[in-house]
Amino acid sequence: MKGEIVLEAKGINKYFFSPEKTQVLKEVTFQISKGEFVSVVGKSGCGKSTLLYILSTMDTDYEGALFIDREEMNTKSQKYHSKIRNEKIGFVFQFHYLLNEFSVLENVMIPGLKLGKYSREELEHRAMEKLKIFGMQGHALKKANQLSGGEKQRVAITRALINDPLIIMGDEPSGNLDKKNGDIVFSIFKELTQEFHQTLLIVTHDQDFAAATDRIIEMEDGRIIRQ
Amino acid sequence: MKISLTLEIAKSLMLARLKQTTVAAVGVTFSLTMFVALLGFMNGLNTMLDGLILNRTPHIRFYNEVKPNPNQPIDQSEEFGDYYNIIRSIKPSASRISIHNNEAIVKTLQEDPRVLGVAPKISAQVFYNVGTINITGVINGIDVEAEADLFFFQDYVTAGNYIDLKNTANSIILGKGAADRMMAEIGDVIQATTAQGNRIQLKVVGYYQSGLGDLDNVQSYASIATTQKMLGETASYITDVQVKLKDLALAPSMAREYRDVFGIDADDIQTVNAQFETGTRIRTLISYAVGITLLIVSGFGIYNILNMMIYEKMDTIAILKAIGFSGRDVNNIFIAIALTIGFVGGGAGLILGFLAGLGIERIPFETEALPTIKTFPVDFNPKYYLIGGVFGLVTTYFAGYFPARKASSVDPVDIIRGK
Repeated sequence: MKGEIVLEAKGINKYFFSPEKTQVLKEVTFQISKGEFVSVVGKSGCGKSTLLYILSTMDTDYEGALFIDREEMNTKSQKYHSKIRNEKIGFVFQFHYLLNEFSVLENVMIPGLKLGKYSREELEHRAMEKLKIFGMQGHALKKANQLSGGEKQRVAITRALINDPLIIMGDEPSGNLDKKNGDIVFSIFKELTQEFHQTLLIVTHDQDFAAATDRIIEMEDGRIIRQ
Repeated sequence: MKISLTLEIAKSLMLARLKQTTVAAVGVTFSLTMFVALLGFMNGLNTMLDGLILNRTPHIRFYNEVKPNPNQPIDQSEEFGDYYNIIRSIKPSASRISIHNNEAIVKTLQEDPRVLGVAPKISAQVFYNVGTINITGVINGIDVEAEADLFFFQDYVTAGNYIDLKNTANSIILGKGAADRMMAEIGDVIQATTAQGNRIQLKVVGYYQSGLGDLDNVQSYASIATTQKMLGETASYITDVQVKLKDLALAPSMAREYRDVFGIDADDIQTVNAQFETGTRIRTLISYAVGITLLIVSGFGIYNILNMMIYEKMDTIAILKAIGFSGRDVNNIFIAIALTIGFVGGGAGLILGFLAGLGIERIPFETEALPTIKTFPVDFNPKYYLIGGVFGLVTTYFAGYFPARKASSVDPVDIIRGK
């Protein structure tokens, strides 16, 4: 193991109640250590996205225990979960989800402004630095909806990084992109884990993508069958 | 969360839907404009209509009433004093209607710090002799300067100069209605007969028009000295003492107090004119009701537009929550939007309402009945602007409250999964 444990799931069970009670997650237990690049794979409907939303604290309706940075999450308030998401988790979604009302730079800065750790000037500087890493600095003042899909995803990754999160979670981040852009996104993740020792947890159904990560957690019918 | 960030996000959301936001703000602007203009106009009219009576009415009036003596001889006799006496058909005693020792009364009143001014008056029943017919009338003998100071006499003299009444001997200012009937021009000399049978020639120096037709048909004005001469009375003859107070509310208690001290009758303005206050209050109530209805309707407009915005911006709300905004933060953002609409729209409404008031004030409004009014009256009391502003903000807050609560409870997982 590379280092301390940043995320731990213990015996997580999750049910859907409509149309009828079905168990989507069964006794899911695993740990992620600092600096790991982990992918979760499985067929569509195996519960991997559901698991990600539970791990991200957005979904709180489950049984079992979740530890982020060795802190138990189940007992905490929604407000505290928001704080954890802001401070310790970076998000990348399948459909990029930038805020269309704001410019690229503002999109990157908003989680930082919310955290309030740095002044606006510092944040602007930091955001520009991070945009530069992905070659996006030239688009900083464009509106989010003026970018192409691949560009949007790169901005979304930049935004996930702005608060130096403990872990970045991705829900099929390359799922909606063509091969070329998908490769760009993957190489960005690779770079993050190698150069910045960033912990990553990526849900994907792309076998090639998963194969190149450090560790694969494979799921089937709500269970982890291999990790 | 920092207020600046809330405001920044609120601003961006509003700019992204500028047209809808503007429509909502215009709704508030319109209703506040109407609210302020309506109340200002309504209260201007109220003040004017009340002034019609209240300006001309003394706060306290002292006089001797013609009535039966409550202390009849049989009650004073030793033999029957303790009995329960029933007397039928009592007639008023021939007590004089002039106020005894009125100089001392006037002096006492003038020294009272609560009193603004005192004006003595004589009321005399007369017949105007026009050819072979007589027209009944009342001549009020007044202290011209005191009357002008306290009861705005000069405002109601529509032709001629009111001060001529004092400076010209045997002069009269005729009620407009009476003058029309007699066809008396200014400068003409008319003849009047008093109830006692004295005849006197009076020179017309002006017309008096109060706006109340019945009054103008009957009332005319002469100076106190002229009236005393007309009645053949001495210089101490006064039938009424009119008092104007600094504070109108004290009238009933002071009337009671001096009634006992002077031993004469005293009427206060509240008792005599109770119906005016009631009318004013109801008119004010109606204008508030209309104004507040307008505001509530505009509140529904804001509610609708915010609700639409929330449905359109579900993605934005979900992403804000995913990157660490709590329900409360999202709530604050939408409340900020509602309050901004209320503040900007309301501010514009107050300014436009003021301008509308200025506009209404310039509309000519001339009528026979109201000689002193040339344009519509508008009341620019800051109170209405304050009430309108506060109520506008409260309405928009509540209009934003429910949509904001809905936005704050959006489950980001539902939205992100739903894609």
